[in-house]
Amino acid sequence: MATTEIYRYLFTPNKKIPLDPEGYLVNQADWDREVAEALALEEGIPLGDEHWEIIEVLRDFYARFEQAPAMRPLVKAVSRALGEEKGRSIHLMRLFPGSPPKVAARIAGLPKPTNCL
Amino acid sequence: MLLHILNRSPATSEVYRQALAAMGPEDRLLLIEDGVQGAMSTLVGHFAEVTGRLYALRDDLEARGLIAHCDTTVAVTDMAGFVTLTEDADRTLSWF
Amino acid sequence: MSNEQGDLLVILRHGPHGTSWLREGLDAALVAAAFGRRVTLLFMGEGVTALLPGQGSGPLGQKGTAPTLEMLEMYDIETLLVEAEALARYGLDAGSLMLPVASVGQGRIAELTASHPLVLTF
Repeated sequence: MATTEIYRYLFTPNKKIPLDPEGYLVNQADWDREVAEALALEEGIPLGDEHWEIIEVLRDFYARFEQAPAMRPLVKAVSRALGEEKGRSIHLMRLFPGSPPKVAARIAGLPKPTNCL
Repeated sequence: MLLHILNRSPATSEVYRQALAAMGPEDRLLLIEDGVQGAMSTLVGHFAEVTGRLYALRDDLEARGLIAHCDTTVAVTDMAGFVTLTEDADRTLSWF
Repeated sequence: MSNEQGDLLVILRHGPHGTSWLREGLDAALVAAAFGRRVTLLFMGEGVTALLPGQGSGPLGQKGTAPTLEMLEMYDIETLLVEAEALARYGLDAGSLMLPVASVGQGRIAELTASHPLVLTF
């Protein structure tokens, strides 16, 4: 759930970005590639091309539906955009370990997915 | 058999039509809260298609001074009866 | 029909913007679908107005529900039914709505509530 509560800050070489208690951006407009890289680093994920293409799918999903997806629709969206192979949940688990919908949404600068426990 | 529970009056709300539309031939309808207005002789006609399967909660009728206005075709039920109706039904569905 | 029967029937009886019932009903449907439940949506009464094309955000910028409705397909919620009587009352045609829907009459609605193991009204 999106929140306006500032819990801590994310520091990038050039910026100080407010985060909510769960580590999601307080202001979605703060997001850029540098912020994404800093958020990913907190998760221990060095972003490569395969991550970026998923981030792009997620941001497109959000732009269209105004919500970040749970696992099932994320798999569907990635399959459609990048093909069946990349849409497999094992691929998403490898790129964004733990909970791919939550971790990837955080790095993509989106609110936490609401329909996803 | 499902128990449908309606808490809106047919005099002020169209919700009763949704409840009736969703009722199967064996289903029962229980009127509670403002829904008990539907048990009044002047309004009970809205529920003609479920005659014999229409119940109204005594506590809510009494609280509103409507017991004397309740139509004889409506089965007046107390809280214990409400529990029994719920137990007899496979599921309950609320219309509000 | 029974082989394509869903696990959950969500009945939506409120339009967008006036109350939060529509959003809450859609959220319940999405959560169930995210957990692999087969969900059937039935729009009754005022609920059919949720499907009008060309909806926007509220006057204070409140988010509308149309983007969520468009997202249903991504959650594999594709059985969308509308109450025929409600369409007639609002002067709407099933084919003019924002999503592909099937119109159902009174008898069918009673069958749906009887045959789904779980029914939620919103």
